[in-house]
Amino acid sequence: MNKLLQRVGDEAAQAWTVASKDIRVYYLRPGMIMFGFLMPFFMFFSFSVKREMAAAQGIARLMALTTFFTAAAAGPFIVPLERRIGTYDRLLAAPMSLITLLLGKIAVGAFFAIAVSVVSLAIGMAVFGVSIVNPALLAGGVLLGAFAFSALGLIFGSIPTRNPGDVQMPSTLLRWGLLFISGVFIPLQEMGSVARAIAYLSPLTYAQDLMNHAVSGSGLIAPWLDMAVLLASGVLFLVPSIWMHRRARKLGF
Amino acid sequence: MENAIEVRELSKYYGDLLAVDHISFDVHKGEVFGFLGPNGAGKTTTQRMLTTLLEPSGGQIVIFGHDLALDSYPVKRRIGLVPEESNVYTELTAWGNLMFTARLYRVPRSERGSRARELLEMFGLWEKRDVKAENFSKGMRRRLSIAMAIIHRPDLLFLDEPTSGLDAQSTRAIRALIRQLNSEGTTIFLTTHQIEEANLLCDRVAIINHGRLAAIDTPEKLKQAFRKVQSVEVAFEHGPEGIGKKLEALSGVTTAAKMGDKWRLYTEDPSVLLEHVIEFARQNDLRIVSLSTLGPSLEDVFLEITGQKVGTVMYRTGNEGAGRRRRKRR
Repeated sequence: MNKLLQRVGDEAAQAWTVASKDIRVYYLRPGMIMFGFLMPFFMFFSFSVKREMAAAQGIARLMALTTFFTAAAAGPFIVPLERRIGTYDRLLAAPMSLITLLLGKIAVGAFFAIAVSVVSLAIGMAVFGVSIVNPALLAGGVLLGAFAFSALGLIFGSIPTRNPGDVQMPSTLLRWGLLFISGVFIPLQEMGSVARAIAYLSPLTYAQDLMNHAVSGSGLIAPWLDMAVLLASGVLFLVPSIWMHRRARKLGF
Repeated sequence: MENAIEVRELSKYYGDLLAVDHISFDVHKGEVFGFLGPNGAGKTTTQRMLTTLLEPSGGQIVIFGHDLALDSYPVKRRIGLVPEESNVYTELTAWGNLMFTARLYRVPRSERGSRARELLEMFGLWEKRDVKAENFSKGMRRRLSIAMAIIHRPDLLFLDEPTSGLDAQSTRAIRALIRQLNSEGTTIFLTTHQIEEANLLCDRVAIINHGRLAAIDTPEKLKQAFRKVQSVEVAFEHGPEGIGKKLEALSGVTTAAKMGDKWRLYTEDPSVLLEHVIEFARQNDLRIVSLSTLGPSLEDVFLEITGQKVGTVMYRTGNEGAGRRRRKRR
């Protein structure tokens, strides 16, 4: 039992070691700044400027966008880059499980997403005087969304390649696709039944709904269901990452 | 003798391409084991399988009594890896790189600082501890990479081409470090295509070619097994046109190769050939500047085993064997 606890403690510390190193090393990389930090704001302003929208609704949308884009940007950028420069071998050869390594990588995207969301929220509160109806829900939404979307990004990071460019295109395509089918720019209440059914397939829909609950108290889905779907999505997204890492070990990446 | 590594019938296919062909060998605890072969022979593939980075297609690897296929965790704690490309984090300082690796390998917090300092001093990087690795030379990065690989005091260290592309001073420093680590009890698995490096450092050498083990023994025993690659080396004051063909025609010469201003004449019996060379010089009115007999070098053995013509200046070193295709056994 003691050995098991020791191992779990070691693995948790190793996951944090991987994450904290990545946070220090990659936060100023151009790819991360472009796709992770600036893109959600571009998206927000592109689709929100000059449109009739309450400040609270705008902040809920911005929070969902920053969580989604920033979290999902880290994995596809960092892992292929590390494979190319050889540092990923150092992590794979270290005495820790694959799950630990993946959780460490997920934590990187999640950390960036939480940081950017906090900045967005601070701007929203300071500039537009938005008040949060349910801060606990907001924190839960940001945390679970950051976890789920970072795990989603890691699926693309796990593709056996040493070229980040090979991964960026499919990951960007998927992110944009999810963005447009989800209830971010068109609220769920205004969607037709088919569009709404499709929107329910996207985890971003649940993150947006949770933000709506938290910021303006106007969500459509039960908050507990939003959180459950986000958590389950994050766990589910780990499966293809594990499979692809095992495949990469066979192929020599 | 206790073994650090036991490899049995190890193979690796990339699709239909057989990169490593059912090889078996042991590495004894405490030795420097050289894994030698031309580019594309299967050296790095084998090393990646031994270090858990690549899954074998078949066979068994046992390190310190643990089967890698069943449980690699205890093995990973006891091995260190220095890949061919120095995989340091260029955005971190030398100190930051070492601290990161120490935490990754769960070196106790109380030991991390002192161990990092000890290594930085040993590797001549203490003064540069706060400099980002992006400002380091290739040799400094390689030293840092080795320091990172041994911060947890591994019992077995894998080094892939540790001196490749380095200047003479850095090469000498790294070879001295390898000897020091080995004298302190670390088993070394050295992958290299530099024959002289293997000759200088290794207790035993395995030669791999086309994915198969061609030979495995001590460097001296390998040389003794290849007596036919002995040679006579001669330099004339002025070598006339066409002298190479005339020398090759001398009785007992198997190959004549020009080595700078000298000619190396390969033979199975150097003592007899010496007399022929002196007679040749007298008949052609040539003045001999130097004349010596040479035993087989490890390079000769390597070239002989890997099927590359011995002693020729333009011998092929490229990716022979890299493209060998064999049908996958089903």
